[in-house]
Amino acid sequence: MEYRFLHPSVLLLLLSFVRSGKATAQDLSGIEIHGFATQGLLFSTHNNYLTTQSSSGSLQWTHGAISVIDSLSDNLRVGIQLHMYQLGQLGGPNVQVDWASGDYKFNDEIGIRAGKVKTVFALFNDSQDVDAVFLWSLLPECSYPADDETFFLSHLGGDVYGQFSLGAHRGKLAYDGYVGESYLDLNGGYVKQITDLGFPLTTAPGGKTYGGDLRWKGLHGLTLGTSMTVQVLDGSGPLGTVHVPPFQDSGEYAQFARGRWYFGFERDLVPFTAIIKTSQSTASLPFDTHSWFGMGSYRVSKRLQVGSYYGHYVDKALPTSLPENYSKELVFSTRYDFNTYFYAKLEDHFMHGYGLGFYTSTNPNSLQPNSNILAAKIGFSF
Amino acid sequence: MKRMSQKRWLIPLLGLISCCVTLHAQDVVFIANKDVRISQIRAADLHAIFTGEKTRFADGTHAVPAILKGGPIHEVFLKNYCDETPSEFRAQWQKAVFTGQGSMPKAFDNEATLIEYVAATPGAIGYVSRFLPDDRIKEIRALR
Repeated sequence: MEYRFLHPSVLLLLLSFVRSGKATAQDLSGIEIHGFATQGLLFSTHNNYLTTQSSSGSLQWTHGAISVIDSLSDNLRVGIQLHMYQLGQLGGPNVQVDWASGDYKFNDEIGIRAGKVKTVFALFNDSQDVDAVFLWSLLPECSYPADDETFFLSHLGGDVYGQFSLGAHRGKLAYDGYVGESYLDLNGGYVKQITDLGFPLTTAPGGKTYGGDLRWKGLHGLTLGTSMTVQVLDGSGPLGTVHVPPFQDSGEYAQFARGRWYFGFERDLVPFTAIIKTSQSTASLPFDTHSWFGMGSYRVSKRLQVGSYYGHYVDKALPTSLPENYSKELVFSTRYDFNTYFYAKLEDHFMHGYGLGFYTSTNPNSLQPNSNILAAKIGFSF
Repeated sequence: MKRMSQKRWLIPLLGLISCCVTLHAQDVVFIANKDVRISQIRAADLHAIFTGEKTRFADGTHAVPAILKGGPIHEVFLKNYCDETPSEFRAQWQKAVFTGQGSMPKAFDNEATLIEYVAATPGAIGYVSRFLPDDRIKEIRALR
Protein backbone atom coordinates (compact mmCIF):
# COMPACT_ATOMS: atom_id res chain seq x y z
CA MET A 1 0.00 0.00 0.00
CA GLU A 2 1.37 3.39 -0.95
CA TYR A 3 0.80 5.95 1.77
CA ARG A 4 1.38 9.03 -0.30
CA PHE A 5 -1.91 10.58 0.68
CA LEU A 6 -3.14 14.06 -0.14
CA HIS A 7 -0.63 16.28 -1.82
CA PRO A 8 0.51 19.00 0.63
CA SER A 9 -0.93 21.83 -1.49
CA VAL A 10 -4.36 20.16 -1.63
CA LEU A 11 -4.18 19.42 2.08
CA LEU A 12 -3.40 23.07 2.73
CA LEU A 13 -6.39 24.09 0.63
CA LEU A 14 -8.70 21.78 2.57
CA LEU A 15 -7.31 22.89 5.93
CA SER A 16 -7.85 26.52 5.09
CA PHE A 17 -11.56 25.82 4.67
CA VAL A 18 -11.77 23.69 7.78
CA ARG A 19 -10.13 26.58 9.65
CA SER A 20 -12.59 29.06 8.24
CA GLY A 21 -15.35 26.85 9.65
CA LYS A 22 -17.59 27.53 6.69
CA ALA A 23 -17.16 25.82 3.35
CA THR A 24 -18.73 28.09 0.80
CA ALA A 25 -17.71 29.77 -2.44
CA GLN A 26 -15.97 33.00 -1.66
CA ASP A 27 -17.32 36.17 -3.20
CA LEU A 28 -15.11 39.26 -3.04
CA SER A 29 -17.09 42.13 -4.59
CA GLY A 30 -18.15 40.24 -7.68
CA ILE A 31 -15.11 37.97 -7.87
CA GLU A 32 -16.06 34.32 -7.52
CA ILE A 33 -13.65 31.76 -6.14
CA HIS A 34 -14.45 28.08 -6.49
CA GLY A 35 -12.44 24.92 -6.09
CA PHE A 36 -12.42 21.19 -5.63
CA ALA A 37 -10.14 18.49 -4.28
CA THR A 38 -10.40 14.72 -4.50
CA GLN A 39 -8.48 11.80 -3.08
CA GLY A 40 -8.83 8.36 -4.61
CA LEU A 41 -7.93 4.77 -3.89
CA LEU A 42 -7.21 2.19 -6.59
CA PHE A 43 -7.05 -1.50 -5.83
CA SER A 44 -6.69 -4.08 -8.59
CA THR A 45 -6.26 -7.78 -9.10
CA HIS A 46 -3.40 -9.00 -11.31
CA ASN A 47 -2.20 -5.85 -13.11
CA ASN A 48 -1.16 -2.44 -11.86
CA TYR A 49 -3.43 0.23 -13.31
CA LEU A 50 -2.78 3.80 -14.47
CA THR A 51 0.93 3.75 -13.44
CA THR A 52 0.02 3.17 -9.77
CA GLN A 53 0.93 0.13 -7.69
CA SER A 54 -2.79 -0.63 -7.54
CA SER A 55 -2.37 -4.38 -7.02
CA SER A 56 -1.13 -3.49 -3.54
CA GLY A 57 -3.70 -0.69 -3.16
CA SER A 58 -2.66 2.81 -4.11
CA LEU A 59 -3.62 6.24 -2.80
CA GLN A 60 -1.54 8.02 -5.42
CA TRP A 61 -4.60 9.61 -6.98
CA THR A 62 -5.17 13.23 -6.07
CA HIS A 63 -6.76 16.13 -7.90
CA GLY A 64 -7.20 19.73 -6.89
CA ALA A 65 -8.23 22.93 -8.64
CA ILE A 66 -9.09 26.47 -7.79
CA SER A 67 -10.77 28.96 -10.11
CA VAL A 68 -11.20 32.72 -9.95
CA ILE A 69 -13.88 34.33 -12.10
CA ASP A 70 -14.90 37.94 -12.49
CA SER A 71 -17.81 39.24 -14.55
CA LEU A 72 -16.57 42.62 -15.70
CA SER A 73 -19.86 43.46 -17.40
CA ASP A 74 -23.11 41.78 -18.44
CA ASN A 75 -21.32 40.43 -21.51
CA LEU A 76 -17.69 40.05 -20.46
CA ARG A 77 -16.28 37.47 -18.08
CA VAL A 78 -12.64 36.66 -17.33
CA GLY A 79 -11.24 33.83 -15.29
CA ILE A 80 -8.46 31.40 -14.56
CA GLN A 81 -8.32 27.92 -13.11
CA LEU A 82 -5.22 26.35 -11.60
CA HIS A 83 -5.08 22.59 -11.44
CA MET A 84 -2.77 19.92 -10.08
CA TYR A 85 -3.01 16.18 -10.20
CA GLN A 86 -1.05 13.12 -9.23
CA LEU A 87 -1.98 9.74 -10.64
CA GLY A 88 0.70 7.18 -9.97
CA GLN A 89 3.76 8.35 -11.86
CA LEU A 90 1.75 10.89 -13.86
CA GLY A 91 1.19 14.53 -13.09
CA GLY A 92 3.10 15.83 -10.10
CA PRO A 93 3.37 18.76 -7.76
CA ASN A 94 3.43 21.37 -10.53
CA VAL A 95 0.37 23.56 -10.65
CA GLN A 96 -0.88 23.94 -14.22
CA VAL A 97 -3.17 26.49 -15.80
CA ASP A 98 -6.23 24.41 -16.61
CA TRP A 99 -7.90 27.28 -18.42
CA ALA A 100 -7.50 31.04 -18.47
CA SER A 101 -9.78 32.96 -20.74
CA GLY A 102 -11.82 36.00 -21.54
CA ASP A 103 -15.37 35.38 -22.67
CA TYR A 104 -17.49 37.95 -24.48
CA LYS A 105 -21.10 37.01 -25.17
CA PHE A 106 -22.77 39.29 -27.69
CA ASN A 107 -26.07 37.52 -27.06
CA ASP A 108 -27.26 33.95 -26.54
CA GLU A 109 -26.70 33.19 -30.23
CA ILE A 110 -23.03 34.18 -30.44
CA GLY A 111 -20.09 34.58 -28.10
CA ILE A 112 -16.31 34.39 -28.29
CA ARG A 113 -13.85 32.92 -25.85
CA ALA A 114 -10.07 33.33 -26.09
CA GLY A 115 -6.98 32.29 -24.15
CA LYS A 116 -6.40 28.80 -22.84
CA VAL A 117 -9.83 27.33 -23.42
CA LYS A 118 -11.29 23.95 -22.50
CA THR A 119 -11.95 22.00 -25.70
CA VAL A 120 -15.60 21.14 -26.25
CA PHE A 121 -15.72 17.64 -27.71
CA ALA A 122 -18.51 15.07 -27.41
CA LEU A 123 -20.13 14.38 -24.04
CA PHE A 124 -17.45 15.01 -21.42
CA ASN A 125 -14.16 16.17 -22.91
CA ASP A 126 -14.13 19.65 -21.42
CA SER A 127 -15.34 18.50 -18.00
CA GLN A 128 -13.48 15.18 -17.73
CA ASP A 129 -11.16 16.48 -14.99
CA VAL A 130 -14.02 17.94 -12.92
CA ASP A 131 -14.74 15.00 -10.69
CA ALA A 132 -17.46 16.74 -8.66
CA VAL A 133 -19.95 16.74 -11.54
CA PHE A 134 -19.86 12.99 -12.22
CA LEU A 135 -21.27 9.88 -10.66
CA TRP A 136 -18.27 7.98 -12.03
CA SER A 137 -14.88 7.79 -10.30
CA LEU A 138 -13.31 7.04 -13.67
CA LEU A 139 -14.95 7.98 -16.94
CA PRO A 140 -14.88 5.32 -19.68
CA GLU A 141 -11.18 4.78 -20.34
CA CYS A 142 -11.91 4.09 -24.02
CA SER A 143 -12.93 7.72 -24.68
CA TYR A 144 -11.73 9.67 -21.64
CA PRO A 145 -8.53 8.00 -20.42
CA ALA A 146 -7.69 9.15 -16.89
CA ASP A 147 -3.97 8.80 -17.64
CA ASP A 148 -4.20 11.02 -20.73
CA GLU A 149 -6.89 13.47 -19.71
CA THR A 150 -4.71 16.51 -20.29
CA PHE A 151 -4.52 15.77 -24.01
CA PHE A 152 -7.29 17.48 -26.01
CA LEU A 153 -8.51 18.92 -22.71
CA SER A 154 -7.77 22.49 -23.71
CA HIS A 155 -6.23 24.57 -26.45
CA LEU A 156 -4.47 27.90 -26.70
CA GLY A 157 -6.63 29.86 -29.09
CA GLY A 158 -10.19 30.98 -29.52
CA ASP A 159 -13.73 29.66 -29.73
CA VAL A 160 -16.91 30.95 -31.29
CA TYR A 161 -19.97 29.51 -29.61
CA GLY A 162 -23.67 30.02 -29.23
CA GLN A 163 -27.12 28.53 -29.25
CA PHE A 164 -30.16 28.99 -31.47
CA SER A 165 -33.75 28.21 -30.68
CA LEU A 166 -35.31 26.15 -33.45
CA GLY A 167 -38.79 27.28 -32.53
CA ALA A 168 -41.48 26.02 -30.22
CA HIS A 169 -41.19 22.27 -29.55
CA ARG A 170 -38.16 21.92 -31.85
CA GLY A 171 -35.43 22.36 -29.26
CA LYS A 172 -32.15 24.25 -29.59
CA LEU A 173 -29.03 23.96 -31.67
CA ALA A 174 -25.76 24.68 -29.85
CA TYR A 175 -22.42 25.06 -31.60
CA ASP A 176 -18.77 25.63 -30.73
CA GLY A 177 -15.93 26.07 -33.23
CA TYR A 178 -12.30 26.63 -32.32
CA VAL A 179 -8.78 27.05 -33.65
CA GLY A 180 -5.48 27.13 -31.79
CA GLU A 181 -2.66 24.96 -30.52
CA SER A 182 -2.73 21.97 -28.22
CA TYR A 183 0.10 20.16 -26.44
CA LEU A 184 0.51 16.88 -24.64
CA ASP A 185 1.52 16.96 -20.99
CA LEU A 186 5.18 15.94 -20.57
CA ASN A 187 4.09 14.25 -17.33
CA GLY A 188 1.06 12.59 -18.94
CA GLY A 189 0.30 9.09 -20.12
CA TYR A 190 1.04 9.37 -23.85
CA VAL A 191 4.55 10.68 -23.24
CA LYS A 192 5.10 7.96 -20.64
CA GLN A 193 4.00 5.30 -23.11
CA ILE A 194 6.48 6.61 -25.69
CA THR A 195 9.18 6.79 -23.01
CA ASP A 196 8.42 3.20 -21.96
CA LEU A 197 9.13 2.21 -25.57
CA GLY A 198 12.67 3.58 -25.14
CA PHE A 199 12.06 6.95 -26.78
CA PRO A 200 12.12 9.68 -24.12
CA LEU A 201 10.77 13.11 -25.01
CA THR A 202 11.93 16.45 -23.70
CA THR A 203 9.72 18.67 -25.85
CA ALA A 204 6.01 18.10 -25.37
CA PRO A 205 4.43 16.92 -28.62
CA GLY A 206 1.86 19.38 -29.86
CA GLY A 207 0.83 21.66 -32.64
CA LYS A 208 -2.02 23.35 -34.43
CA THR A 209 -5.55 22.19 -33.89
CA TYR A 210 -9.05 23.13 -35.02
CA GLY A 211 -12.45 21.60 -34.68
CA GLY A 212 -16.01 22.00 -33.58
CA ASP A 213 -19.05 20.58 -31.90
CA LEU A 214 -22.69 20.71 -32.95
CA ARG A 215 -25.47 19.48 -30.69
CA TRP A 216 -29.23 19.46 -30.80
CA LYS A 217 -30.93 19.79 -27.43
CA GLY A 218 -34.46 18.47 -27.54
CA LEU A 219 -37.27 19.53 -25.25
CA HIS A 220 -37.54 16.36 -23.23
CA GLY A 221 -33.96 15.82 -22.09
CA LEU A 222 -32.61 14.32 -25.31
CA THR A 223 -29.35 15.63 -26.77
CA LEU A 224 -27.77 14.46 -30.02
CA GLY A 225 -24.39 15.71 -31.19
CA THR A 226 -21.31 15.35 -33.29
CA SER A 227 -17.76 16.60 -32.70
CA MET A 228 -14.63 16.75 -34.79
CA THR A 229 -11.09 17.90 -34.13
CA VAL A 230 -7.98 17.98 -36.31
CA GLN A 231 -4.57 17.95 -34.65
CA VAL A 232 -0.89 17.95 -35.62
CA LEU A 233 1.76 16.69 -33.22
CA ASP A 234 5.50 17.36 -33.19
CA GLY A 235 7.82 16.52 -30.35
CA SER A 236 11.45 15.70 -29.78
CA GLY A 237 13.84 13.98 -27.42
CA PRO A 238 17.51 13.09 -27.17
CA LEU A 239 17.11 10.17 -29.60
CA GLY A 240 15.13 11.98 -32.32
CA THR A 241 11.73 13.36 -33.20
CA VAL A 242 8.14 12.20 -33.30
CA HIS A 243 5.75 13.61 -35.88
CA VAL A 244 2.07 12.91 -36.33
CA PRO A 245 0.66 14.45 -39.56
CA PRO A 246 -2.77 16.10 -39.31
CA PHE A 247 -5.27 13.56 -38.09
CA GLN A 248 -8.96 13.75 -37.34
CA ASP A 249 -10.69 12.66 -34.15
CA SER A 250 -14.44 12.39 -34.61
CA GLY A 251 -17.17 11.56 -32.17
CA GLU A 252 -20.92 11.10 -32.22
CA TYR A 253 -22.98 11.05 -29.08
CA ALA A 254 -26.43 11.02 -27.52
CA GLN A 255 -27.67 11.58 -24.03
CA PHE A 256 -31.03 11.49 -22.34
CA ALA A 257 -31.60 13.01 -18.93
CA ARG A 258 -35.03 13.08 -17.40
CA GLY A 259 -36.13 12.94 -13.80
CA ARG A 260 -34.02 10.43 -11.95
CA TRP A 261 -32.62 8.79 -15.09
CA TYR A 262 -29.59 9.50 -17.23
CA PHE A 263 -28.41 7.62 -20.31
CA GLY A 264 -25.42 8.40 -22.50
CA PHE A 265 -23.77 6.92 -25.57
CA GLU A 266 -20.67 7.98 -27.45
CA ARG A 267 -18.54 6.65 -30.29
CA ASP A 268 -15.07 7.95 -31.19
CA LEU A 269 -12.79 7.21 -34.12
CA VAL A 270 -9.11 8.25 -34.16
CA PRO A 271 -6.97 7.05 -37.08
CA PHE A 272 -3.40 8.41 -37.15
CA THR A 273 0.20 7.50 -37.92
CA ALA A 274 3.15 8.43 -35.71
CA ILE A 275 6.48 8.84 -37.52
CA ILE A 276 9.48 8.37 -35.25
CA LYS A 277 12.84 9.51 -36.61
CA THR A 278 16.20 8.82 -35.07
CA SER A 279 19.66 9.47 -36.50
CA GLN A 280 19.70 5.87 -37.77
CA SER A 281 16.15 5.07 -38.83
CA THR A 282 12.59 6.15 -39.47
CA ALA A 283 9.62 4.13 -38.27
CA SER A 284 5.92 4.57 -38.97
CA LEU A 285 3.48 3.44 -36.29
CA PRO A 286 -0.12 3.32 -37.57
CA PHE A 287 -3.10 3.49 -35.20
CA ASP A 288 -6.79 3.16 -35.94
CA THR A 289 -8.63 3.36 -32.66
CA HIS A 290 -12.34 2.73 -32.41
CA SER A 291 -14.08 3.22 -29.11
CA TRP A 292 -17.61 3.46 -27.79
CA PHE A 293 -19.43 3.38 -24.51
CA GLY A 294 -22.96 3.26 -23.22
CA MET A 295 -23.94 4.33 -19.72
CA GLY A 296 -26.99 4.67 -17.52
CA SER A 297 -27.64 5.95 -14.04
CA TYR A 298 -30.50 6.34 -11.60
CA ARG A 299 -30.84 8.74 -8.70
CA VAL A 300 -32.18 6.68 -5.82
CA SER A 301 -32.53 9.64 -3.48
CA LYS A 302 -31.29 13.19 -3.11
CA ARG A 303 -27.99 11.86 -1.78
CA LEU A 304 -27.56 8.50 -3.50
CA GLN A 305 -26.96 7.77 -7.19
CA VAL A 306 -26.12 4.46 -8.84
CA GLY A 307 -25.13 3.58 -12.40
CA SER A 308 -23.26 1.39 -14.80
CA TYR A 309 -21.42 1.66 -18.10
CA TYR A 310 -19.75 -0.53 -20.66
CA GLY A 311 -16.75 0.76 -22.60
CA HIS A 312 -15.11 -0.82 -25.63
CA TYR A 313 -11.81 0.07 -27.33
CA VAL A 314 -9.95 -1.62 -30.15
CA ASP A 315 -6.99 -0.62 -32.31
CA LYS A 316 -7.90 -1.91 -35.76
CA ALA A 317 -4.45 -1.14 -37.19
CA LEU A 318 -3.11 -4.06 -35.16
CA PRO A 319 -4.25 -7.66 -34.60
CA THR A 320 -7.54 -7.12 -32.77
CA SER A 321 -7.55 -10.50 -31.05
CA LEU A 322 -4.52 -9.68 -28.92
CA PRO A 323 -5.32 -8.28 -25.45
CA GLU A 324 -2.76 -5.48 -25.85
CA ASN A 325 -4.84 -4.06 -28.72
CA TYR A 326 -8.24 -3.94 -27.07
CA SER A 327 -9.90 -3.05 -23.81
CA LYS A 328 -13.41 -3.86 -22.64
CA GLU A 329 -14.74 -2.79 -19.28
CA LEU A 330 -17.99 -3.24 -17.39
CA VAL A 331 -18.37 -0.79 -14.54
CA PHE A 332 -20.75 -0.43 -11.60
CA SER A 333 -20.69 2.81 -9.71
CA THR A 334 -22.31 4.55 -6.77
CA ARG A 335 -22.04 8.04 -5.34
CA TYR A 336 -23.20 9.42 -2.01
CA ASP A 337 -23.41 13.15 -1.29
CA PHE A 338 -22.95 13.77 2.43
CA ASN A 339 -23.94 17.39 2.00
CA THR A 340 -23.61 20.14 -0.60
CA TYR A 341 -19.83 20.05 -0.44
CA PHE A 342 -18.61 16.52 0.41
CA TYR A 343 -19.21 13.29 -1.47
CA ALA A 344 -17.88 9.75 -1.75
CA LYS A 345 -17.78 7.34 -4.69
CA LEU A 346 -17.27 3.61 -5.01
CA GLU A 347 -16.78 1.82 -8.31
CA ASP A 348 -16.02 -1.67 -9.60
CA HIS A 349 -14.35 -2.24 -12.97
CA PHE A 350 -14.33 -5.62 -14.64
CA MET A 351 -11.76 -5.34 -17.42
CA HIS A 352 -10.76 -7.56 -20.27
CA GLY A 353 -7.72 -6.73 -22.38
CA TYR A 354 -4.94 -4.30 -21.48
CA GLY A 355 -4.88 -1.97 -24.45
CA LEU A 356 -5.55 1.06 -22.26
CA GLY A 357 -4.34 2.17 -18.85
CA PHE A 358 -1.73 -0.52 -18.25
CA TYR A 359 1.99 0.28 -18.52
CA THR A 360 4.90 -2.10 -18.96
CA SER A 361 7.05 -0.11 -16.53
CA THR A 362 4.62 -0.75 -13.66
CA ASN A 363 3.86 -4.29 -14.81
CA PRO A 364 7.35 -5.71 -15.46
CA ASN A 365 6.28 -9.35 -15.04
CA SER A 366 3.95 -9.38 -18.07
CA LEU A 367 0.30 -8.35 -18.10
CA GLN A 368 -2.69 -10.61 -17.46
CA PRO A 369 -5.66 -10.30 -19.87
CA ASN A 370 -8.23 -9.79 -17.09
CA SER A 371 -8.25 -7.31 -14.23
CA ASN A 372 -10.79 -6.28 -11.65
CA ILE A 373 -10.37 -2.82 -10.24
CA LEU A 374 -11.93 -1.14 -7.24
CA ALA A 375 -11.91 2.66 -7.36
CA ALA A 376 -12.97 4.73 -4.36
CA LYS A 377 -12.95 8.48 -4.00
CA ILE A 378 -13.78 11.21 -1.57
CA GLY A 379 -14.25 14.70 -2.89
CA PHE A 380 -14.91 18.23 -1.81
CA SER A 381 -16.02 21.20 -3.86
CA PHE A 382 -17.14 24.72 -3.13
CA MET B 1 -70.44 15.57 25.07
CA LYS B 2 -71.41 18.01 22.34
CA ARG B 3 -68.07 19.81 22.81
CA MET B 4 -66.24 16.50 22.34
CA SER B 5 -68.15 15.94 19.11
CA GLN B 6 -67.21 19.41 17.88
CA LYS B 7 -63.53 18.67 18.64
CA ARG B 8 -63.76 15.53 16.54
CA TRP B 9 -64.74 17.67 13.56
CA LEU B 10 -62.18 20.31 14.38
CA ILE B 11 -59.18 17.98 14.08
CA PRO B 12 -59.85 16.85 10.49
CA LEU B 13 -60.75 20.44 9.59
CA LEU B 14 -57.42 21.69 10.89
CA GLY B 15 -55.75 18.84 9.01
CA LEU B 16 -57.48 19.95 5.80
CA ILE B 17 -56.42 23.57 6.30
CA SER B 18 -52.87 22.45 7.02
CA CYS B 19 -52.96 20.33 3.87
CA CYS B 20 -54.14 23.33 1.81
CA VAL B 21 -51.32 25.47 3.23
CA THR B 22 -48.84 22.72 2.36
CA LEU B 23 -50.21 22.47 -1.16
CA HIS B 24 -49.86 26.21 -1.53
CA ALA B 25 -46.19 25.83 -0.54
CA GLN B 26 -45.73 23.41 -3.44
CA ASP B 27 -44.94 26.31 -5.73
CA VAL B 28 -42.87 29.45 -5.59
CA VAL B 29 -43.48 33.06 -6.54
CA PHE B 30 -41.09 34.74 -8.96
CA ILE B 31 -39.95 38.26 -8.28
CA ALA B 32 -37.88 40.60 -10.41
CA ASN B 33 -36.30 43.99 -10.20
CA LYS B 34 -38.92 46.68 -10.88
CA ASP B 35 -37.07 47.73 -14.05
CA VAL B 36 -37.60 44.33 -15.68
CA ARG B 37 -40.19 45.00 -18.37
CA ILE B 38 -41.88 41.62 -18.60
CA SER B 39 -44.70 40.63 -16.28
CA GLN B 40 -44.94 36.97 -17.22
CA ILE B 41 -42.48 34.35 -18.38
CA ARG B 42 -42.66 30.87 -19.84
CA ALA B 43 -41.54 28.00 -17.59
CA ALA B 44 -39.10 26.91 -20.30
CA ASP B 45 -37.48 30.37 -20.24
CA LEU B 46 -37.25 30.25 -16.45
CA HIS B 47 -35.47 26.91 -16.73
CA ALA B 48 -33.11 28.30 -19.37
CA ILE B 49 -32.31 31.43 -17.35
CA PHE B 50 -31.72 29.63 -14.06
CA THR B 51 -29.52 26.98 -15.69
CA GLY B 52 -27.45 29.54 -17.59
CA GLU B 53 -28.61 28.59 -21.08
CA LYS B 54 -30.24 31.97 -21.60
CA THR B 55 -28.94 35.28 -20.38
CA ARG B 56 -31.78 37.46 -21.63
CA PHE B 57 -35.51 37.85 -21.10
CA ALA B 58 -37.88 37.63 -24.04
CA ASP B 59 -37.72 41.42 -24.44
CA GLY B 60 -33.93 41.24 -24.91
CA THR B 61 -32.88 42.72 -21.57
CA HIS B 62 -30.16 41.04 -19.53
CA ALA B 63 -31.37 38.53 -16.94
CA VAL B 64 -29.56 37.99 -13.65
CA PRO B 65 -30.77 34.88 -11.80
CA ALA B 66 -30.68 34.82 -8.01
CA ILE B 67 -31.20 31.61 -6.05
CA LEU B 68 -31.51 30.37 -2.50
CA LYS B 69 -28.64 28.23 -1.19
CA GLY B 70 -30.98 25.51 0.00
CA GLY B 71 -34.17 24.74 1.90
CA PRO B 72 -37.68 23.66 0.92
CA ILE B 73 -38.44 26.67 -1.30
CA HIS B 74 -35.25 26.06 -3.29
CA GLU B 75 -36.16 22.40 -3.66
CA VAL B 76 -39.72 23.21 -4.77
CA PHE B 77 -38.34 25.61 -7.36
CA LEU B 78 -35.88 23.01 -8.69
CA LYS B 79 -38.51 20.29 -8.78
CA ASN B 80 -41.17 22.41 -10.51
CA TYR B 81 -39.05 24.38 -12.97
CA CYS B 82 -35.79 22.47 -13.50
CA ASP B 83 -36.78 18.85 -12.78
CA GLU B 84 -33.55 18.50 -10.83
CA THR B 85 -32.38 17.76 -7.32
CA PRO B 86 -30.16 20.32 -5.56
CA SER B 87 -27.12 18.11 -6.28
CA GLU B 88 -27.90 17.91 -9.99
CA PHE B 89 -28.54 21.65 -10.22
CA ARG B 90 -25.26 22.38 -8.45
CA ALA B 91 -23.36 19.88 -10.61
CA GLN B 92 -24.67 21.55 -13.75
CA TRP B 93 -23.42 24.94 -12.60
CA GLN B 94 -20.14 23.47 -11.40
CA LYS B 95 -19.58 22.05 -14.85
CA ALA B 96 -20.00 25.53 -16.33
CA VAL B 97 -17.73 27.13 -13.71
CA PHE B 98 -14.92 24.58 -13.75
CA THR B 99 -14.80 24.49 -17.55
CA GLY B 100 -14.67 28.27 -17.83
CA GLN B 101 -18.07 28.49 -19.51
CA GLY B 102 -20.06 30.29 -16.86
CA SER B 103 -20.27 31.76 -13.42
CA MET B 104 -22.55 30.68 -10.60
CA PRO B 105 -25.75 32.64 -9.97
CA LYS B 106 -25.79 34.62 -6.75
CA ALA B 107 -27.03 32.39 -3.94
CA PHE B 108 -28.57 33.58 -0.69
CA ASP B 109 -29.12 32.11 2.75
CA ASN B 110 -32.69 33.40 3.07
CA GLU B 111 -35.49 35.11 1.18
CA ALA B 112 -34.93 38.49 2.81
CA THR B 113 -31.39 38.84 1.43
CA LEU B 114 -32.48 37.49 -1.95
CA ILE B 115 -35.24 40.12 -2.11
CA GLU B 116 -32.73 42.86 -1.22
CA TYR B 117 -30.42 41.70 -4.02
CA VAL B 118 -33.24 41.53 -6.58
CA ALA B 119 -34.41 44.99 -5.52
CA ALA B 120 -30.94 46.46 -5.97
CA THR B 121 -29.86 44.67 -9.15
CA PRO B 122 -31.16 45.61 -12.62
CA GLY B 123 -32.39 42.53 -14.48
CA ALA B 124 -32.43 40.34 -11.37
CA ILE B 125 -35.00 37.57 -11.04
CA GLY B 126 -35.49 35.22 -8.11
CA TYR B 127 -38.09 33.16 -6.29
CA VAL B 128 -39.66 33.36 -2.87
CA SER B 129 -42.40 31.58 -0.94
CA ARG B 130 -44.81 34.55 -1.19
CA PHE B 131 -44.86 38.02 -2.63
CA LEU B 132 -44.74 40.89 -0.16
CA PRO B 133 -45.56 44.23 -1.78
CA ASP B 134 -42.39 46.23 -2.25
CA ASP B 135 -41.95 49.21 -4.61
CA ARG B 136 -38.52 48.00 -5.66
CA ILE B 137 -39.62 44.60 -6.97
CA LYS B 138 -42.46 43.13 -9.01
CA GLU B 139 -44.10 39.74 -9.24
CA ILE B 140 -43.53 37.78 -12.44
CA ARG B 141 -46.14 35.24 -13.42
CA ALA B 142 -44.80 31.88 -14.54
CA LEU B 143 -46.65 30.40 -17.52
CA ARG B 144 -46.74 26.61 -17.50
